[in-house]
Amino acid sequence: MESPDIRGGSDAATTLETAEKIILRWDSTTSEEAKENLIFQSDRDEVDRYLQAVDEVQRLVSSVSISDSHHHHEVKARSTIQIAMARLEDELRNILLSQTSTFEPDSLLLDSSASAFATRADLEDNTETVGADEGEGEEQEQEEMNLVLPDGSDSNSGSDPGSSRLSSRRSSCKSTSSIREIDLVSTEAVSDLRSIVHRMIGAGYSRECLQVYGNVRKSAMETIFKQLGIVKLGIGDVQRLDWEAVEVKIRRWIRAAKVCVRVVFSSEKRLCEQIFDGGEIEETCFMEIVKSSALQLFTFPEAISISRRSPEKLFKILDLHDALADLLPDMEEIFNSESSETILVQATEIQSRLAEAARGTLVEFENAIFREPSVVPVPGGTIHPLTRYVMNYLNLIADYKETLEELVMSKPCAGLKCTNDPVKPDMDLSQLEGRTPLALHCIWTMVMLQFNLEGKSLHYKDEALSHIFIMNNVHYIVQKVKSSPELREIIGDLYLRRLTGIFRHAATKYQRATWVRVLNSLRDEGLHVSGSFSSGVSKSALRERFKAFNTMFEEVHRVQSTWSVPDAQLREELRISLSEHLIPAYRSFLGRFRGHIESGRHPENYLKYSVENLETAVLDFFEGYTTAPHLRRSQ
Amino acid sequence: MRPAQDNQGSFLGRISIRRNQFTDVNTEQEQEDLELFQKHIADRFTELLSPPPPPQQPPSDETNTVAPVPATEQIMSVTWLRKLMDVFLCCEAEFKAILLMGRDPTQISKPPFDRLVPEMLDRSIKALDICTAVVNGIDSVRHYQRLAEIAVAALEQRPLGDGNVRRAKRALSNLLIALSIEDKENVSGGGGRSGGSSAASKGGATIGQLKSSSWAVGRNWSAAKQIHAMTANLAPPRGNEAAGLPLPMFIMSTVTVFVMWVLTAAVPCQERAGLANHLPVPKHLNWAQSLVGIHEKIGDEWKKKEKKGSAGLMEEMTRMEKLGHSLVEFADGFHYPAEKEAAESAAAQVAEMAEICRRMEEELVPLQQQIREVFHRIVRSRAEILEVLEQAGKLSAPVV
Repeated sequence: MESPDIRGGSDAATTLETAEKIILRWDSTTSEEAKENLIFQSDRDEVDRYLQAVDEVQRLVSSVSISDSHHHHEVKARSTIQIAMARLEDELRNILLSQTSTFEPDSLLLDSSASAFATRADLEDNTETVGADEGEGEEQEQEEMNLVLPDGSDSNSGSDPGSSRLSSRRSSCKSTSSIREIDLVSTEAVSDLRSIVHRMIGAGYSRECLQVYGNVRKSAMETIFKQLGIVKLGIGDVQRLDWEAVEVKIRRWIRAAKVCVRVVFSSEKRLCEQIFDGGEIEETCFMEIVKSSALQLFTFPEAISISRRSPEKLFKILDLHDALADLLPDMEEIFNSESSETILVQATEIQSRLAEAARGTLVEFENAIFREPSVVPVPGGTIHPLTRYVMNYLNLIADYKETLEELVMSKPCAGLKCTNDPVKPDMDLSQLEGRTPLALHCIWTMVMLQFNLEGKSLHYKDEALSHIFIMNNVHYIVQKVKSSPELREIIGDLYLRRLTGIFRHAATKYQRATWVRVLNSLRDEGLHVSGSFSSGVSKSALRERFKAFNTMFEEVHRVQSTWSVPDAQLREELRISLSEHLIPAYRSFLGRFRGHIESGRHPENYLKYSVENLETAVLDFFEGYTTAPHLRRSQ
Repeated sequence: MRPAQDNQGSFLGRISIRRNQFTDVNTEQEQEDLELFQKHIADRFTELLSPPPPPQQPPSDETNTVAPVPATEQIMSVTWLRKLMDVFLCCEAEFKAILLMGRDPTQISKPPFDRLVPEMLDRSIKALDICTAVVNGIDSVRHYQRLAEIAVAALEQRPLGDGNVRRAKRALSNLLIALSIEDKENVSGGGGRSGGSSAASKGGATIGQLKSSSWAVGRNWSAAKQIHAMTANLAPPRGNEAAGLPLPMFIMSTVTVFVMWVLTAAVPCQERAGLANHLPVPKHLNWAQSLVGIHEKIGDEWKKKEKKGSAGLMEEMTRMEKLGHSLVEFADGFHYPAEKEAAESAAAQVAEMAEICRRMEEELVPLQQQIREVFHRIVRSRAEILEVLEQAGKLSAPVV
């Protein structure tokens, strides 16, 4: 800075006089013309003259020592500075206001691929070379402009040393390449704003500067929020919404929040950096502008994070959680000062509350399965809606495996394994050593489901049908697990084998429950008459046997063709398996004894079915017919 | 009973036996806790109504020696508001202990709690939105503070010239406009002062107005309506309910509504028409007397202020407004060089304004943080209560 001693008194006085004249010409409180026009909208020469005049007066004010000889000068100069600052304040406001409508959210919301934008990493690479080669810097900045704004207004101030120096101040180079800064204000305007702000701060008017800048940018931010579709909703408002409506809003919020943090907040921060050259005021300004917007933005996830838990909410909560997790590194980069810490803290807290909600929801889901109370048996022993629901849910859990494995840290059933009650579900954890807590929760969920299904199976009056029900449902569970590699990995083959064992066992129990009785009528015991050598077979007993078999088979056919095994392969296997018992036994029985009946009266009353008839009839089994088809018999 | 529930029957039976024993043993203890809770509420609010003299004068703080009751301790001062927040947090912690600790979950899911608890949770949601609105309102107060600081900085200049005075006046006029805006949404840029036609002064008024369009809560959200809705089903428990848990629930809800009411009256807040309506607190109750006393004091002030439109009743804001008016008067009559007498009285006022700014600088951000803490506390308690309800649901009737 120039020392006042160097200057000759009269020389300084004339310079000052000229400068004051220029400033007073633009005093809007005294001149009508000054009131109607703007310096920064007149020609550039006038702008330069005015700024130079301000500098002259300011130089005098800051260099004059307080002494009586300069007293008058100083007071007058201060008064002039005040006029200039009031003027610059208005100019600042006007430039800012004229620049508030350049934001185009549509393209940002639609095109979320990072490649379409200059990333922060790119920016840093650019600016490193700027010092060495001004021309290259300009070229790259131009390129950035085109990338960011498709309709890119042509800019010629890429070589503004200020802005490039500012960008290179950033030293950290984290993996937050998703930050995409755009120019919220044109580059010429940035340079004008800088020259005003610089002088206001220099003259001790930083508070005024902050007020104007903060206010205009804050309303600009509000406009941007409206454009992004971020509506103001209180926590109470969100609580009143239907969950379906909330789901839609969550999707929209995630999209908007990403643009908001990565583009809007980061660009706003960059703008502050470009204009204020660091320092406390830069930070204060930035916070002034974004604080309430950030609060508004995070009210929505905050509301979700405290809403009542229920199983259907889990996956949207996880989406929201993941979105926040995704945004947090970027936010750390943007809100990296002490004053902006609260925003980070808030976002982190919401994230952990969402995590807690997700954990709680998972437990709630398990309990809901355990308690699911429907007692009306599904007709035909087919797959229960609960089974489908739970398995679809588990499939989704597998889709969210990555997040959930991080979130779920404790083993399941802390609250339920309090008893050794044999009628309570239990899980042998010793066999499941080394599995992740999430895997244990999934398995536990299936244990709960299976337990609930066992309870439901008791409501079938026909024992055989209850086995079919278990077989169908557990088989469905196994199939669902097998069809999703992720879920299969979580559940593991050990438990899968156990489940397979369960449905096979159920199939066996079904056969026993149904067919032992039927096949008993085809046994030899009790047919032979003791002491007789001629025929050795009691005809009447034989007739009874055939009759009994026919009645039983007819009954089984009538009933079990209305039962349902929806899985074609399982159905086929089951039929083959029962045929393997039934058909040979019947063929042999028929072969050995048909002669005895045919030789008697009305053989057709006893020999109703051929082996082929039975083979055909078995094909009706488990087809889930509403009424049993007619049982065909031989002529 | 449905066969499916049979297996749970035995399990539940055991629990309920335990519960019966449990409540018998604890009723006496519970009565004691309840009485202590009421006493603590009474004590805390009595202290807020008439703060005891500070144990010793804080060193090197001139202002405290001037008034008998230090200005910092006055009702609605920022320090007092911070104390109020502490009181709320204490009451809340004590209440939660009474409500949840060692209690059988099924108890608070049965009548009358199946009605009282959801009502209380609903109130807590409304309180959360009020907290957000108030945190935002404090940002506006920070904005007033900055305008006052400009005036202070300008008027502290020596020698005091026209330029300084004009600068101060500009800031003070903006401050006074800001302090007198009503909390309507339609006050946006350009309003307040004429002269929108001229280019240079366009939007000149915006500096003074942290516009109401930046309210953080929903568009049609109204602080007064929220407060009103919080009191809608708030009634003191009657009959045999009055002796048990419903009483502390009523007390805590009243305290919550009261604290939220004070906050909305203190700082700029979205839509406060009708805020002066009474709280449904029976005056004869011991625990409520001081609370009612404070409520009446503030309510009277509010009625006065409401007529002329005021940004808030925070004591510092009120004084700031008064000082602002007389300093504008000083500025209007100012000719360089200033008369000695006028300059001296202005200097005293500037010093007072500077002191207010200093206190705001020190206390507004901590106050905001405390309100966030209140917010978090409410969130946490709500989560804990919901968890207990879920547990209760698990033990009793199936939910799905």
